Amino acid sequence: MSTHQDDPRVDELRQRLRSLGYLDAGVDRFVLGPARGARRPAAIALLSSLRVGALAAAMLGPAAATGIRARLPDLVTGPRDAMVVALYLAIFFGVAAAAAAFIAGLLAPAVARRLAGTSGDRSRVVSRASGVIVTLGCLGYLTLWWRAVVADVGWAAPFWTVSALAVAVTISLVLGHAVSIMSSAVIVAAAGGHESARRASWRSSIMAAAVAFGAAALLLTVSTRSVPAVASPPLTVVSSGLRLRVIAIDGVDARLLDELTAAGRVPALAQAMRGAALRFVEVDGRDPGGSDPARAWTTIATGQPASVHGVHALETRRVAGVQGSLHADPSSFARRLRGATDLMRLTRPAVASGDERRAKTFWEVAADAGLRTVVVNWWATWPARTDAGRILSDRATLRLEQGGPLDAELAPASLYDGLRNQWSEISAAAAARAAAALGEAPAGDTRVLLERSARLDALQLTLLDRITEPGTDLSVVYLPGLDIAQHALLGESVGSASTMAERLAAIQQYYVMLDRLLASELAPREQELVVVITEPGRVAGRQGGQMSVLGNVTTAGMRDGAATSAAPTILFALGVPISRTLASRPALELFGPAFVSRYPLRAVDTYGPPSRATAPRGTRPLDQEMIDRLRSLGYVR
Amino acid sequence: MPGEAPAFFAAYQRQVEEALRRIVPPAGETVDRAMAYSLLAPSKRVRPVLTMLSAEVCGGTTQAALAAAVSLELVHTSSLILDDLPSMDDAPRRRGQPANHVEFGEAIAILAAFGLLNQAYLTIARSYPPELAAALSRLVGEAVGCDGLVAGQAADLLATDRDINFDLLERIHRGKTGALFNASAVAGAMTAQAGAEAIASLSAFARNLGLAFQIIDDLLDVEGDPAETGKAVRQDARKTTFVSFSGVAGAHQLASELCQTADRALTPFGRDADRLRQLSAFVAARNR
Repeated sequence: MSTHQDDPRVDELRQRLRSLGYLDAGVDRFVLGPARGARRPAAIALLSSLRVGALAAAMLGPAAATGIRARLPDLVTGPRDAMVVALYLAIFFGVAAAAAAFIAGLLAPAVARRLAGTSGDRSRVVSRASGVIVTLGCLGYLTLWWRAVVADVGWAAPFWTVSALAVAVTISLVLGHAVSIMSSAVIVAAAGGHESARRASWRSSIMAAAVAFGAAALLLTVSTRSVPAVASPPLTVVSSGLRLRVIAIDGVDARLLDELTAAGRVPALAQAMRGAALRFVEVDGRDPGGSDPARAWTTIATGQPASVHGVHALETRRVAGVQGSLHADPSSFARRLRGATDLMRLTRPAVASGDERRAKTFWEVAADAGLRTVVVNWWATWPARTDAGRILSDRATLRLEQGGPLDAELAPASLYDGLRNQWSEISAAAAARAAAALGEAPAGDTRVLLERSARLDALQLTLLDRITEPGTDLSVVYLPGLDIAQHALLGESVGSASTMAERLAAIQQYYVMLDRLLASELAPREQELVVVITEPGRVAGRQGGQMSVLGNVTTAGMRDGAATSAAPTILFALGVPISRTLASRPALELFGPAFVSRYPLRAVDTYGPPSRATAPRGTRPLDQEMIDRLRSLGYVR
Repeated sequence: MPGEAPAFFAAYQRQVEEALRRIVPPAGETVDRAMAYSLLAPSKRVRPVLTMLSAEVCGGTTQAALAAAVSLELVHTSSLILDDLPSMDDAPRRRGQPANHVEFGEAIAILAAFGLLNQAYLTIARSYPPELAAALSRLVGEAVGCDGLVAGQAADLLATDRDINFDLLERIHRGKTGALFNASAVAGAMTAQAGAEAIASLSAFARNLGLAFQIIDDLLDVEGDPAETGKAVRQDARKTTFVSFSGVAGAHQLASELCQTADRALTPFGRDADRLRQLSAFVAARNR
């Protein structure tokens, strides 16, 4: 037998016989398999469409999951996630394809009856037409899907693009063929006779595949906005010798602060606000219900809007069985959909994390440039990166409180034992610091609330002190206390005017507390700049945020700007080149002319994507504890 | 023994022979005798047996399938008489005896062929309920008509003494042999009220078996013994055959693979289709 198999003539004839429908007993049976015993056209269409759905599920599920992986890396973090997502998509595409095939099967006999010719001719024409329609529809969809998921690649990566299109063409032809077989069977059954569908010749098949491939390639070409990939160059620092301390205060109402300043109750903050200042009209899509903290503070940290940095909301959703997350669309439809999927346990609430972020923060850029950085408690910094200096992520406090093995809550991991061992002392010091700053406070629940918020802020400052080494170029701390207190006191119905007045007084007292707490922090030392960034927080207000720069190289005065100017301004002050891809330029007007002329703005093409080098992940993540904590603080429902 | 029909075959052949004798008795007018002369001559009855086996494998009975089976044999015999005419293949012998036109003259042979063809439709109309009869008539009509035997024979005539390509050769054989093989299998399934999947499987079986049958026919024309084949050999010397494309060994190989594929198409029927598999093996090994 092997002798004949090796005969090229026999092999050629074998291939031609296959193309003519011989030497193949499989596909037709697969598609029509479930319809065995069925005689009614509708039953044949229904049962066969199940197999078409199964084919679509098997092919489109994994293909679409690959696309999802490219588009939503936050959702698909590994092979397990990819398999689960492929399963979900397989179900979706399987059901959709089965439904479409069923409808096509029901329509095919009606169309065939309207045509002239023998029943065999009609069957062939209509079944082939249905197959062609399915093939073209599927190919168009897959091509546009590919364009959407790799919008920045296109023909810049010809190998992958050609491979993807070849897969799309193959899938489309197989599905089209399956639908053609099904339609033929249904038409014949409807006519009361039986005839098996003949196949097109292999030349026709190859020509069809070539035409389909060409069409898909053309579609991809005309619909792709190709963006050439740019490598991130090394960052060379031209240091001015300045060190920066960045203090981020959430929940600051500019008008209230002005009133307190006028009354002389917050001298340190007033001093800071009177420095070189930039007023943010709006921080990245502030909605009437107040800004989302993870979104707004990531915008400030990256200098990019949420559409670029990728952190859209504090509350996200994890898909069941998948490690990655999806951001929560605020639309009412999306909320209802989330409610339904939560109810079915397909999704569950999660908190925005650094894994979703697609742009570097200013401290990551500074660390890339070789500067020493310390960051405490900024939003969406968990899991902590190992290549961005010292960092206590937004989950670090929780981990230090609860103990247990680290789950990338801070970096480097060597900090953990020391802080954990000193935790009682650190907590006590923070509590004392908060109490001293708070002074006399109203009694009852309001006092408890103010104390808790003040301790939280004092704790972040204490932790910053503990992990900051001499010679640190950039230290960053985020203080959430005011926003928490303000949201708790004003975020819901406040009842009577007297209650409103009491709560307003409590908030004013918190400003005073902050002023005392930060008094020493807000005074720049030798060769140092203090940057204070405020943001209105979750309680809606018409005023935007503000960035004030204090130091002897600045020019006092208030200017209008954008929140995305904060990151480049900080990096400029540190002597780091500014990426041309950032949404805003540095606010050079905050600095004196001598400083700007001595350290002119330098630019680079890009900072590149953020590093994925995170601290080692543990076996006991604090996912649920974090949600509970945020829920208790009013961040999530 | 190679080339021998399976043991079960005789019982089916006997049923067919009896039914054929009832429908076309070997007596009467000249044209009646001419019809019976070719119809009742020794034959393997592969097509009617295929019809009955297909009915059985789909849960039907041979009795219900018998009328359809003999109808297809009537059609087949009719086509043989016409094929052998001087204006067509001009074959002197068929089924181990002189060809019909040699025995009865050309005019009577033509009338006998048409008589058999119409007897086929008449048998179907008389034997089945109107809906099934109509479906079977359509099936037979399409197998005989411009996509079947007629088209195959026409293409074959035009191809004589000409070089033809493989696609045209396949089209000829699909019309002359495959169409009736396919109709035989599908007709049996229809009499058993079979579903689409069963019919598709039997159609795939018949399609592959029919081509294997034809390739072996070509091989017998080259290698066969007239005493065994019952017809003149080297009849196809002026024609392009599968052997022309693949050589003798290659044709054996392809016929074997087609029979194997035909067997695979029977997978959904499991052991119930063993007799069809034996039929396939018989076709693969036949020497006449």
